[in-house]
Amino acid sequence: MKKRILFVDDERDLLNGLRRALRGQRKEWEMTFVGSGKEALELAESNPFDAIVTDMRMPGMDGAQLLEELVHLQPDIVRIVLSGQSDKEMVMKSVLPAHQYLNKPCDIDHLKNAIIRAFALRELIHDDKLVALISGMESLPSLPSLYLKLVGMLQDSDVTVRAVGEMLAKDLAMTSKVLQLVNSAFFGLGRRITNPVDAASLLGMNVIKGLVLSIGIFSQCDQSKLQSQGFSVDRLWAHSSKVASIAKRIAVAEHAEKSVVEDSMLAGFLHDIGKLILALNLPEILQQLQMASQDGGLAGLHHAEEMALGTTHGGVGAYLLGLWGLPEGVVSAVAFHHDPGALPDAEFSALTAVHVADVLANDDASDGYDFDHDYLQRLGIEDRIEAWRQLALE
Amino acid sequence: MNQVERFARRCERERSARNQAERLLEEKSLELYHANVGLKQLARDLAEKEQRSSSILDAAVDGIVTVDEQGRIDSFNHAAEMIFGCSQKEAIGLDFSLFMESDEMNGGSIGDLSVGVLGNRTMIREINGKRSDETIFPMDLALSETYLGERRLLILVIRDISQRKQAELERVKMELQLRQAQKLEAIGQLAAGIAHEINTPTQFVSDNTSFLQDAFQDIKKLCGFRHRVIEAVEADTLTPELIETAKAVADDIDIDYLHDEIPEAIEQSLEGLRRIKKIVGAMKEFSHPGTEEKSCIDINQAIRSTVEVSRNEWKYFAEMVLELDPALPATPCLPGELNQAILNLIVNAAHAIEDQAEDDSDSLGTITIRTLKRDERVEIKVTDTGCGVSEDISGRIFDPFFTTKQVGKGTGQGLAIAYSSIVDRHGGTIGLESEIGRGTTFTITLPVNMASVKTG
Ligand SMILES: Nc1ncnc2c1ncn2[C@@H]1O[C@H](COP(=O)(O)OP(=O)(O)OP(=O)(O)O)[C@@H](O)[C@H]1O
Ligand SMILES: [Mg+2]
Repeated sequence: MKKRILFVDDERDLLNGLRRALRGQRKEWEMTFVGSGKEALELAESNPFDAIVTDMRMPGMDGAQLLEELVHLQPDIVRIVLSGQSDKEMVMKSVLPAHQYLNKPCDIDHLKNAIIRAFALRELIHDDKLVALISGMESLPSLPSLYLKLVGMLQDSDVTVRAVGEMLAKDLAMTSKVLQLVNSAFFGLGRRITNPVDAASLLGMNVIKGLVLSIGIFSQCDQSKLQSQGFSVDRLWAHSSKVASIAKRIAVAEHAEKSVVEDSMLAGFLHDIGKLILALNLPEILQQLQMASQDGGLAGLHHAEEMALGTTHGGVGAYLLGLWGLPEGVVSAVAFHHDPGALPDAEFSALTAVHVADVLANDDASDGYDFDHDYLQRLGIEDRIEAWRQLALE
Repeated sequence: MNQVERFARRCERERSARNQAERLLEEKSLELYHANVGLKQLARDLAEKEQRSSSILDAAVDGIVTVDEQGRIDSFNHAAEMIFGCSQKEAIGLDFSLFMESDEMNGGSIGDLSVGVLGNRTMIREINGKRSDETIFPMDLALSETYLGERRLLILVIRDISQRKQAELERVKMELQLRQAQKLEAIGQLAAGIAHEINTPTQFVSDNTSFLQDAFQDIKKLCGFRHRVIEAVEADTLTPELIETAKAVADDIDIDYLHDEIPEAIEQSLEGLRRIKKIVGAMKEFSHPGTEEKSCIDINQAIRSTVEVSRNEWKYFAEMVLELDPALPATPCLPGELNQAILNLIVNAAHAIEDQAEDDSDSLGTITIRTLKRDERVEIKVTDTGCGVSEDISGRIFDPFFTTKQVGKGTGQGLAIAYSSIVDRHGGTIGLESEIGRGTTFTITLPVNMASVKTG
């Protein structure tokens, strides 16, 4: 079935241009073009779309308002902003409801790829309800202690951007949201950023303050509620930091390129973010999964995940990060960290580092987590395992 | 008369003469005494007066100096000592021109200054003085003359105005900075808007071009088949399969679609390029680099370019209607400042309409700009269908920093700047009529005649 995509812009000529330039997709996509948010909502009500690409500033309803309403109507829709405004206020308004922001003028292939990628990611997850749950998430909750510390910091006039960045880097939710922001074309950086400290200094103190204190892009998670459901937020954070640091050391030891080292660290930190998403949305299922993994180890977990979700927690996390436009290397490392052999890669990548680091970080648990030996053999680096184990202990 | 009688008479006469003389003497010495007493009193009075006037002189905050006709200093009060940094003792007898910047007197003396000029009048001038440490400072000099008997004296009252001057300078500087800041802010905001106005056509011009590129590949493919068909016809090898394939290719590339869309893609791309060209041109006109002097300009054109560069500020809220009098004469203006003033009015109008509009409604308000010539003046009217200005604030809206807008939306400088450039720098007027909930009209008038224009 063709994917249905809705384009919204108050400039007729612009819509005409997009329609013509995307003509090559006519066999895969069914494209609709409308001139206002109102029309877009009316159409979406009667016939759901798979993706929407909207202008930001339009007479009457603006792009942010449109997306806010669409999220309720149809949470699973892929939401992309294509805006010509560099107005910060406008940008901030769409920080939550949009998955990705592209700037006009935007290379048509770039736009095309962003949409294609979002659709491809969706293939990771077969369950429509789950797709809707993840797509509908505007942000993730942070560890309350970190959140409160950050808010305190932002009210202190002496604090440096660097210190704020280091704070952001400690939290899964803040790290992913802030990287979504800086990697969007809105901030016009044109290069990929994988480090929250860099992200913070690029955004600048005023923007961060605005985002945190008035837009409220971060929130606190209800730790005790999650705890009562058998999910330890603290343990997730501790494990994530550990895997991030081991993955980075492994990538360095393998003389990987700088970008791979950075991806490894970031993907290591975010690899289990899917668990947080599940804990927030489907706590019963997560509980089942945890029981299954206690009984049957990794295989048990996989089996249970496939049964219950039609995907893995890696897929869940990857889908959200991918929608948010995080770098591809990071997204696939998160998606396949338990099963790296599923990808045809034959080279050391962030995925390799995260997979190995995750296994090593679980070493003491003796729950049947093991390396994907076939994969490591294919890459010809199976003999490095002992060295990595030493690294992990340091 | 006998001897004795005569003698007795003589004695009598002498006695009376002596008495008389004694009386006279007594009288005279009494007179003398009184005169002496009076004199003493007078002297005392005089001394007191002298004391008083010199202490008044010394207590005066202004420097008071008297000079003789040769320009030599005759007296020098305490304030003068302070101002010039020179004691009275040192000053007396010196030529007063030593206390003035040398080119003030053209080499002449202060005495020359007043010859024939003064009469009973006082002359006030602003000149540069010179302190004993050679520093130059601005002073107000009031000059009057007086006669002491035959001697002509000039009285100089001197006020050091360097502080006042400094404050004035600071004020002018600050005003300039404010104006500059507002200009920069406006330019910053405009730049974002202009970028948007350029980015949009750039997007569709590039999309259309990339479509044309693809379309050309498709057409090339079709041409290839056409060629093969022709060759086959010529060689008499044409098969129904070949015809079918050629048809299929034509269907596949949707030749009808291309046929309709290619001309439109080209037309719209050209239109996009025209839009870019127009805004770039308007930008150049709007910013008017380096025109700090009045020049005669076409106000209508200035309005058109200002409307163009500010399009992004109003187009989401309002339609723009221009009713520009083609017979408008060229008008002496500081183009940059006039543009700025009109821009501020347009932005305010857009804000007022935005304020008035209901949320989510797609209906636009209207901004109308009219020009016309009335007597020796050019009138520019900017009318909006916005929220209107209420009676109680209409007296304050031209005040610097008066705003009803939230932080980030307005700083309250727009109208203050417009006022100072129109009224102070163009000798024009600016006023408004408004009705709450209906709209507002701001009217600017500018003198057309160069001569009636005060230079700024
Ligand atoms: N066309 C108008 N309609 C209604 N109110 C107006 C209009 N123009 C000005 N005002 C009122 O006058 C006030 C002062 O205007 P002014 O342009 O000086 O400052 P501002 O628009 O608030 O800020 P700035 O121009 O510095 O961005 C405004 O805040 C607004 O209340
Ligand atoms: Mg204003």
